Amino acid sequence: MTTTHTTMDQRHLSPGNSFIELRARDRAFSLLDQNRGVELLGPFDRLESRWLEDQGIVAQADDGCVIVLGAVGGKSALIIAIEGAFQGGSIGETSGMKIAHALKLAHMDCEAGTETAAILLLESGGVRLQEANLGLAAIAEIHDAIVTLKQHVPVVAVIAGMTGCFGGMSIAAGLCTHLIMTRQGRLGLNGPEVIEQEAGIQEIDSRNRQIVWRIFGGSQRYEMGFIDTLVDDDIRQINQSIRHILSRPYTAKPLSLCLERYQKRLSRINVPARFDYLPSASE
Amino acid sequence: MHEVTKQTSWSRRKEDKQKRLARIRSWLSGVLLPTDRIVPALERLLAPGDRVALEGNNQKQADFLSRSLSQVDPKEIHDLHLLISSVSRSEHLDLFESGIARKLDFAFAGPQSVRIAQLIEERRVEVGAIHTYIELYARMFIDLTPRVALICADKADRAGNLFTGPNTEDTPTLVEATAFSNGIVIAQVNEIDDNLPRIDIPSSWVDVVVISDRPYVMEPLFTRDPRQINELQILIGMMVIRGIYERHGVTSLNHGIGFATAAIELLLPTYGGILGLKGKICRHWALNPHPTLIPAIESGWIESVHCFGSEVGMSDYISHRPDVFFTGPDGSLRSNRLLCQLAGQYGVDLFVGSTLQMDGDANSSTVTAARLTGFGGAPNMGHDPHGRRHSTPAWLSLMVGDTPLGRGKKLVVQATETFQKGGVPSFVESLDAIEVGARSGMAIAPVMIYGDDVTHVVTEEGIAYLYKAAGVEERRAALSAIAGVSPIGLRSKHNSVSRLRQRGLVAFPEDLGVKWAQATRSLLAAKSMEELVTWSCGLYRPPARFRTW
Repeated sequence: MTTTHTTMDQRHLSPGNSFIELRARDRAFSLLDQNRGVELLGPFDRLESRWLEDQGIVAQADDGCVIVLGAVGGKSALIIAIEGAFQGGSIGETSGMKIAHALKLAHMDCEAGTETAAILLLESGGVRLQEANLGLAAIAEIHDAIVTLKQHVPVVAVIAGMTGCFGGMSIAAGLCTHLIMTRQGRLGLNGPEVIEQEAGIQEIDSRNRQIVWRIFGGSQRYEMGFIDTLVDDDIRQINQSIRHILSRPYTAKPLSLCLERYQKRLSRINVPARFDYLPSASE
Repeated sequence: MHEVTKQTSWSRRKEDKQKRLARIRSWLSGVLLPTDRIVPALERLLAPGDRVALEGNNQKQADFLSRSLSQVDPKEIHDLHLLISSVSRSEHLDLFESGIARKLDFAFAGPQSVRIAQLIEERRVEVGAIHTYIELYARMFIDLTPRVALICADKADRAGNLFTGPNTEDTPTLVEATAFSNGIVIAQVNEIDDNLPRIDIPSSWVDVVVISDRPYVMEPLFTRDPRQINELQILIGMMVIRGIYERHGVTSLNHGIGFATAAIELLLPTYGGILGLKGKICRHWALNPHPTLIPAIESGWIESVHCFGSEVGMSDYISHRPDVFFTGPDGSLRSNRLLCQLAGQYGVDLFVGSTLQMDGDANSSTVTAARLTGFGGAPNMGHDPHGRRHSTPAWLSLMVGDTPLGRGKKLVVQATETFQKGGVPSFVESLDAIEVGARSGMAIAPVMIYGDDVTHVVTEEGIAYLYKAAGVEERRAALSAIAGVSPIGLRSKHNSVSRLRQRGLVAFPEDLGVKWAQATRSLLAAKSMEELVTWSCGLYRPPARFRTW
């Protein structure tokens, strides 16, 4: 594996401090101390998808996935950033394996005594349909790697927007120890386009952004208690939130042990005793 | 001695109108018709074969009247000849399927472009012609005079005066053509208000007013979300500003809709500012109130904007900027599509448009296989009006040759990426329009802008200054030099490109002092809808579908 030492191109940051406006690579470096880090399997390693060219799609030299190792608040950290602008941030064989193995490397670091937290910058529509099963297998490995790694260190997901986080990667987000979103971010299992396609426009009009964001958007996700932190689209705020999480003592507590928290929340919602829309026995 | 024909009456149209109106007199209170009477009233007021102007343009729609018209009994009312500027609603075409209407003259069919192509092919719709907007309005005063006009307004008073508000658009023209030829004018209004903010149409031109079941439909057609602007469009925008606006000193202009022109609008305060061009270019506009123009207005770039129509969410902003926009004494925008089209044709020095397809001779069309969009106003703006007699520095700068009768030329610019979404080339050997035209039985192929009217073509590769070309071959070579790896671009030869660059027929970004690396989204004065709202001091209120909050 070759490594590339890079500092972030400051030019992109000059006017404004929008995190959303940054591409995946700049996002990753913007979170590291002194904006310095080592990119693993960078574009010059030319690890592309093997499947796209045959389908008339130009592959990308990093397969839309940027892995950078560096320090956050003085502690070793691994940043995994998905590029939403390449194939909707979809997870293929290559990008998925890059993520899964990077998480495994972080786990090996932890086992060897260097705690390396992971920060996932998720912009993904889910599995890359052109690589169907291979992408799904990779996503399963990502899930496994997150579950393994979080026994040692926090695994933080940031969903900044504007692609959002859907499909298998929304499950990955759910497995993380901390979730940070902006109002512009979206999180959901099935994306609005998929729902519209499957259930019709009367179910959801995927072009009506206000409806879409009121269902999937960061504010809604925060109010419902699905995420931990809601931030502005601001590089400094996102940095502060991550540093705050990493500075606190970490005790691994799987979500499955937080049942009480979610039961309490559910009890506050007035759920009808019987779901009227379920088909009755006579039908 | 020749025989003198005895004409029994010279006012048959008037008498016919009175006869028709008498049939619904008992339902009217003044000019006001109860909402639930509209369908029988239309059955009594219309006659088979009538020529009917149905107000529907690319923004506002007399949708209550078009929905009601589609409910009349086709046995009573059939074979209508409809004049619709923009066929936008499904019931416009339902009317043809049910036989209520047979013939259609129109200008644009954006949202219905696929279905209308099918119906024409099946001969269910008999097309008179596909016009440009002012061409269609013009014919309403010559050989396509409407017998009935179905129009919409914001408000009416009990006397029948109409307030059409910011979206006045086509209404005065349709009413004028109908009312003064003794036709019947029926207006749907959102509400009755005896203290109208202003009178846009006087009551004596209006015969029937009906309150609609819900406010008329408005399409935010001219809203472009800055988030969707990509870096190629920004590069194109930078080249247009340097290589065309600055070079020719363009002070008055029109922009089509598209992300490249939205990029230009958002680059003026930033990139244009760095180049010191404020006050030197882009001062006067014939343009709908594009939200992406807000930063340039707020930065003091824009002196005046005359509008074809309004834009959803822009009303408050406009009424707080009366020095820039044409507004009534009530403070709200007064738009007028006919006059703005004329202004855009004769009054401005430049038009920038975009297209889906362009051939090797720079002919362009948005008609592609199975889609018949029509033209709207692009051909009016996008041509050199030979009737122009006033000169400006930009117009004169296109003068070629040195004859005593030399004259200038309007700048007609087409800006497009070399490939559309999905890897479809924009530059093609032959326009789909030719085949669509032939299949639909049209007399001429539906070309939007003819190549000989185009003076500049801009792509992410560079600018072709077509007006400088000495002949057809040179024009083609200049165009292919900037057509990338599209079928037309692949014709380009390296040697000829260097020659064309030396002679100034082709300019690449580096020839214009435009740096590729600078073409980033950080150059946009606003990068999101939220930032446009901020620029507008909170006065711009984007419609829900553009809001992520």
